[in-house]
Amino acid sequence: MNHQESPTRQGWTRREFIGVTLAGTAVGLAGYWGWRRFLPEGLPRPFNREKPAETFITKAPRYEMDLLSLILQGLQELKVTPAEIRGKSILLKPNLVETRPGAIHITTHPLVVRAAVEAFLHLGAIRVLVAEGVGHRRDSLLVLEESGLAEVLCEDRIPFVDLNYDTVFTVANAHGATHLATLTLPETLKQVDWIVSLAKMKTHHWAGVTLSMKNLFGVMPGSYYGWPKNILHHAGIEGSIVDINAAVKPQLAIVDGIIGMEGDGPIMGTPKAAGLLVMGRSLPAVDATCARIMAINPRRIPYLNLAAGRLGPIREANIRQLGESIVAVRSPFALIETIPAHQGIRLEL
Amino acid sequence: MQDQFVSAYLETIRRRVCSPEGGFAGQEGGGYRADATAWAAVALEAAGQRLDWLTAARARLKAQQLADGRVILTPQHPDAVWLTPLAVLAWHRARDYRDATDKAARFMLATTGRHWPRTPDLPYEHDPSLKGWPWITATHSWVEPTALAVLALRISGRGEHERVKEGVRLLLDRQLPGGGWNYGNTKVFGRELFPFPESTGAALNALKGAAEPARVRKSLDYLHSRLREVRTPVALSWGLMGLAAWGEGPAEAGAWIKECLANQERYGPYDTASLSLLLVASRAPRGLESVFAIGGKS
Repeated sequence: MNHQESPTRQGWTRREFIGVTLAGTAVGLAGYWGWRRFLPEGLPRPFNREKPAETFITKAPRYEMDLLSLILQGLQELKVTPAEIRGKSILLKPNLVETRPGAIHITTHPLVVRAAVEAFLHLGAIRVLVAEGVGHRRDSLLVLEESGLAEVLCEDRIPFVDLNYDTVFTVANAHGATHLATLTLPETLKQVDWIVSLAKMKTHHWAGVTLSMKNLFGVMPGSYYGWPKNILHHAGIEGSIVDINAAVKPQLAIVDGIIGMEGDGPIMGTPKAAGLLVMGRSLPAVDATCARIMAINPRRIPYLNLAAGRLGPIREANIRQLGESIVAVRSPFALIETIPAHQGIRLEL
Repeated sequence: MQDQFVSAYLETIRRRVCSPEGGFAGQEGGGYRADATAWAAVALEAAGQRLDWLTAARARLKAQQLADGRVILTPQHPDAVWLTPLAVLAWHRARDYRDATDKAARFMLATTGRHWPRTPDLPYEHDPSLKGWPWITATHSWVEPTALAVLALRISGRGEHERVKEGVRLLLDRQLPGGGWNYGNTKVFGRELFPFPESTGAALNALKGAAEPARVRKSLDYLHSRLREVRTPVALSWGLMGLAAWGEGPAEAGAWIKECLANQERYGPYDTASLSLLLVASRAPRGLESVFAIGGKS
């Protein structure tokens, strides 16, 4: 048998194949390292799909201060004008996932809710209501009492809608980040002109952070999604956040970071006095800004990566910061290294 | 107080009857609500008010039963099956609904939540392999739907079924180490979560006669302490029934219910399900099951 190679042979020897494979892997790894090192936020415009947005940051060291003026200033900076709000119905969606008496770091503070109601009425809204489908508990009224919100709603005669038991309508899940074919939503959402996510600034042990986009889990009625909203957990939290936001199309976010939660959020973490409010029309931009303030890399938050470009920008270069700068208010939120969703999300400063 | 409460209750829900289909709305002028209808049926029976409304409410629930026995909220949402045990409670004392009850029970016995083996790397501490009942099919089993299914199967004569026994084991497994239950997680990432009175009350009703008192002592203590501050209808009703089921109903129960009713001046009229639950609690001297032991069949 002649083992001499023919000068016109085709194909590779095993040695050549292994060599080329190793070289290709090395080039790939080097490229990945370079991308992470020099382009941590992806390609710059015009090579990325993100449409720019604006986010307003204001310092608010305590709840017992003139929050109304701060929110009105934010709305003005974001060019939310009386002409845009006059005659409109506004739904404010606070985070009331669960409560514990005296634990003000779990839920959106009632004084932030009050200030937001007053701000929209000041701009000429015809009706402002507060609505929530409490995530973990069946007694919504007790949650309102324990959060302190019941007192504010009663004093100011602000209507509250329990979205867990609302009548519903079903829409196709057009965005399709999960396998869910449809989404079942409360009728109340159709009866308002604006939906405002009035969220809390918290770390989250499944999603990394919970801010304005995750807060919209609460619009999904418990009667059809359960307590907790387990269908969404099985479908994937990240994809569900994006699908819900794409379907609900909220107009604005206001994040209560006056006292947020760090560590084992969204329930068991510890209070974090970040002393600020963050607002914006683009929820991905607001959440990305909040994450940077918390010293968390928004690119490492899976739901923000899914939303980027499709629902709004998350790259710092595509978000124009109004009011305070991120650097001026940065306040690192503690992460827990044993929680997988917290691993590797710290922003390198 | 009892007679006054019943009179006021009847006057309130009279304005919430859905005509001509039967059943009740959550509030006056609102749309039909199936869970409210089920609780109103239980409350009317508990108060001995065998009115046409009760007959119509049971029939409306029957119309929502599918061929496999599940009772659903709307035809568009056949996966939302948590109404099924409530319908069994609503039908329990009516002879005409034995077949419907049997079908519902067969469905419950054939249905479980999603389960998987317990492994050391799980971030939560409860045993996910124990089979109970979910709110919505193809999701995990949680405390309240499991408690309601155990109660419904037990009052319909299936208390010795293996599924009921496993449901009891699940509830004991989900009891918080410090006492009480929440929606159904005990510890996540090593941190013990907090109890809720409404979940605790439901679990204690389901465990009546199925667990040693020592196993639930901390949970009873939690309710004794927590209910002193709770005056909202769902948590107070379930909490009081939870204590009553174990023969520890507080002497102040009537006064607390009265205070809770008075809070409607502040909050507006309670929805039909909450108000009905409160009436049931006021008529449940030994827990939820005791309301089904009073009087004869209708």
